[in-house]
Amino acid sequence: MTTIRSTLTLLLIAIAMIVGHVHAQPQGDPDAEAFRSAFLAGDLSWDAVLERAAAEGEVVWAHWGGSETLNTWIDTVVRPALAEYGVTLRTSRLTNTRDAVDLVLAEAAAGRGVGQGSIDAIWINGENFFTLSSQGLNFGSFADLVPNSQYFHFDTSNPASGPNLFDFGYPTNREEIPWSGDQYMCAIDTARLERSEAPADFAELEAWLRENPGRFTYVRPPQYNGNTFVQTVLYAHNPDGDGYVSFQNAADALGVDEFIRITQPGYEYLQRIEPFLLGGGGSDGMRGSPIYPEDQNGLEALFVNGEIDMACQFGMYNTAVSIETGRFAETAENVIFPAQGMIKNKNFIGVPINAPNPAAAMVLANVLASPENQISKLGTIGYVLGIDADLLTAEQQAEIDAVAPSLVGITYDELGAVTVPDTNASLVDVIEGTWTAFIERRSGSFEDSVRAAFADR
Amino acid sequence: MLATKPTAPRSGRSRRASWLQRLYVPLMLTPVLLTIGVLFFGALIVALLQSFGHAPIYGIEEFPTLRHYRNLFTLPGFWSSVGLTFYYALVPTVVGTILSIYLALMLRRRFRGKGLVQFVYKLPLMIPYLVGVALTIVLFGNGGIIARGMFALGVIESTRDFPRLIYSHAGWGIMIVYLWKQIPFTTLIVYSVLMGLGRESEEAAATLGAHRWQTFWHVTLPQIMPGIVSATVIVFAFNFGSFEVPFILGGGFPNTLPVEAWRAFEDADYSNRLRAMAIVMFIGVLSGAVLFTYLAAYRRFERLRGRQ
Amino acid sequence: MIARRRAGTTEIRRDDRDRLGPFGRFYVTFVVVAVVGPFIPLLIASFAFRWNWPDLLPSRWWWEARETARLPLGWDYVFSPVSRVLESAGNTVLIALLVTLLCTLISLPAARVLARERFRGKSFVEFFLLTPLIVPEIAVGLGILVTFIQLGLAGTFTGIILVHLIPTIPYMVRVLTSVFQGLSRDYEEQARVLGAGPLRTMWHVTLPMIMPGVIAGGLFAFLISSNIFLLTFFIGRGRIETLPTLLFSRVSGGGALDAVAAGVALIVCIPGIIMLVLTERFIKEEVFAKGFGG
Repeated sequence: MTTIRSTLTLLLIAIAMIVGHVHAQPQGDPDAEAFRSAFLAGDLSWDAVLERAAAEGEVVWAHWGGSETLNTWIDTVVRPALAEYGVTLRTSRLTNTRDAVDLVLAEAAAGRGVGQGSIDAIWINGENFFTLSSQGLNFGSFADLVPNSQYFHFDTSNPASGPNLFDFGYPTNREEIPWSGDQYMCAIDTARLERSEAPADFAELEAWLRENPGRFTYVRPPQYNGNTFVQTVLYAHNPDGDGYVSFQNAADALGVDEFIRITQPGYEYLQRIEPFLLGGGGSDGMRGSPIYPEDQNGLEALFVNGEIDMACQFGMYNTAVSIETGRFAETAENVIFPAQGMIKNKNFIGVPINAPNPAAAMVLANVLASPENQISKLGTIGYVLGIDADLLTAEQQAEIDAVAPSLVGITYDELGAVTVPDTNASLVDVIEGTWTAFIERRSGSFEDSVRAAFADR
Repeated sequence: MLATKPTAPRSGRSRRASWLQRLYVPLMLTPVLLTIGVLFFGALIVALLQSFGHAPIYGIEEFPTLRHYRNLFTLPGFWSSVGLTFYYALVPTVVGTILSIYLALMLRRRFRGKGLVQFVYKLPLMIPYLVGVALTIVLFGNGGIIARGMFALGVIESTRDFPRLIYSHAGWGIMIVYLWKQIPFTTLIVYSVLMGLGRESEEAAATLGAHRWQTFWHVTLPQIMPGIVSATVIVFAFNFGSFEVPFILGGGFPNTLPVEAWRAFEDADYSNRLRAMAIVMFIGVLSGAVLFTYLAAYRRFERLRGRQ
Repeated sequence: MIARRRAGTTEIRRDDRDRLGPFGRFYVTFVVVAVVGPFIPLLIASFAFRWNWPDLLPSRWWWEARETARLPLGWDYVFSPVSRVLESAGNTVLIALLVTLLCTLISLPAARVLARERFRGKSFVEFFLLTPLIVPEIAVGLGILVTFIQLGLAGTFTGIILVHLIPTIPYMVRVLTSVFQGLSRDYEEQARVLGAGPLRTMWHVTLPMIMPGVIAGGLFAFLISSNIFLLTFFIGRGRIETLPTLLFSRVSGGGALDAVAAGVALIVCIPGIIMLVLTERFIKEEVFAKGFGG
């Protein structure tokens, strides 16, 4: 009896513990709060920031950690650069950036305010930044306050500042600072697929897939490489013929009916090609079990194992670097696909409001934005510049041209001619929600899928 | 309730002793009950409350509602998920048990290299499931080693011609990993029970002229049955709730229930986390119900056998 | 030997039944090949630089490419601090050791009571302690995650060690209970009669007698803890990596032919192989029978 009673008491304690902690009151750390307001007001000298950063002693950077080359570059370049300022870099390698955003949201909900979180900086863009912004969980407008902000256009009257001030069409409000650029690219293995036979647009892809069923697939949305493929399909099938332009509007401005009208042909295309993707049934009406790899590593594995002949993912110089590291065959090349528009964007370093080491986070943002480190990143691992090259010296520009890896089979002019921007951030959830409901789960008509995705947003 | 320890004789000490004795059992049990009670049942209670709509952390407070369970049952593909989860859990449990019993019986015999075999077969037991997953991808993928070998021999002309063993709903790859990891486990249990039993009764049966099969069926099997039942319970429960194996090797939607729970939890829309909690509660109840029925049936069977 | 000779005819029959037939030999060989064989391609993959379809062997090996490479490749990457393989191995061992210690301390008193005392609610307690084996880890993991984030335990060693107690305690209690059941109370009582206090009895009599069983249970707990993926993955949140979570991030996309993934997979096996050798040395197979046979 006693045993049972003590057990029940324990359970009650457990419940009390759980319920009790939910209602904690948010209150920040006054010292971190003071630093934040002084820094954002521009009242602090950079030396004062450096001094505080050294006192903080460490910085926690959460970034997508699926790339060996990137991890190596961070450990061999960024870590020693920060050590010079007395700051130890601790990186949290994520499989999905959303995990870091979730952590910030959960900490905020648990009442952990300014200075009391566990992440200082996040490699972020698109809907993840949108989520933090809409919850008011960004540290503040810091991007033009760090010394290396001189290498970015932030002047609103200059069109060149667009990629720095808008992230997936959503204003960054200088609450995140660009650190890398990205370009959606498609690679083929010319040992299996001749250049001349490679599809150049979506109509050709469909015809080619009907001839060669199972020789193509794309990453599963909501992973961003998958979302981006779906976005390019939607651009190409926009019935108004203006491609990406309609998708620059926010979800509310566009409205659900208009969204249905402009995306229906694209989603119907995706449904039409599904039986001919890897693992699909192989003929119209036979769905099979189409294989959508979980991330770009999975897609590349299918590519190098000879299961698919074309692989599309982010990474302007990925093919060159992958040939160099032995992952891709030497016969791999890039192609221009789809000719209707290949998405290019920038990605950023964001700082959450509850960063425990805010000064060190500013130092990290500044170190990552230095021309020296940006050029090293481009030359060593093929990550596109986040800073604006026209603000650099002629010498630095020449160095950039010298170190940039090859585009393997295509030219900058060919690529530049088809480059388009991302969709508006508020549409990303709708696009992936519709894909999940209409393509993956087939849970209802197209219209119902879109309306549900709009409502869930 | 009261400890059955012999009481100390002297009266002065006995009062203290009896006070100690009354608390002896609860005190000794407290650490374990506290740990499991708070951590394990605490977690389950949180999941349960959330599945019924109590989730102030996401700004949701609709307790008590059955909405998340009702939504679950009308979700497209949900019942396929339930079926797949059962299929991937049950087939390897049954097949693995049969193969394990046979292996354990073989291990009891004498043969050359027995020491090595007894050492090597336990290796999969010691390493994570994820290693099994990696091995399966390398071997059985459509571009894997076996497919390449068949290509070299001219049996297949392309990765397309190789039967799809992983990333498919037939789940061959998933079940191969389970078998690879679990046959050693079940074999070890059955083998150690066999060792504990000795061979007297079997030899007696053999002396009385029973065939090998009759001896196994009527003498050996009933004796090792308790070991088999505990092993199958643990194996089935594990397979039913396994995440990483079907997550990596599965055929995509419809997924097994744990993978569905994970996807709901990771969804951009936080209210779907309540659905994730409803799914994990459903997994727990379903798995519990199956195992309870199984154990009850076994007890009944044992009773009936005892009466014969 | 003497008994054998005396047994005569029945002994001959027994010998015959005792030998492995051709099918049995085939089956046992198959098991060994199925356990060890798959590691061969993994080992080759770990030394590959380029190994694309349809090559049966790498077209270029790691040692041919490593000299000229600008970035560390294959095993160079695995053993560089960047890969965090050694750090994860250290974390795995540290966590498993602390879990084993804590789990033993928590389970010992309960095992003693469960083995020796009769009390009301005992079967309830036994059932209570078995439920973690039956309820899927994902239910516990998802339920505990949010609470741990709120308490600041997510991403900490404390948090991971606490959740590892959940699946290890049930096994530990079962193994230790069987150890106490097999232990006669006589020696302890004699020691008490001879005037030893309870602590001295515990230290000099009980502990030495249960030590082999405690070691067996400890190895078991260590093994379970070092193999846990899902709970570590949830609670570690990418801040604390162990060997299983590191391997997950390498193979979750499905790219296991990659040299680094193959290298990591092989490293992940090392603690298990050490454990295998240790268990051969310390755990009698009967312990498993006692723990699970009922």
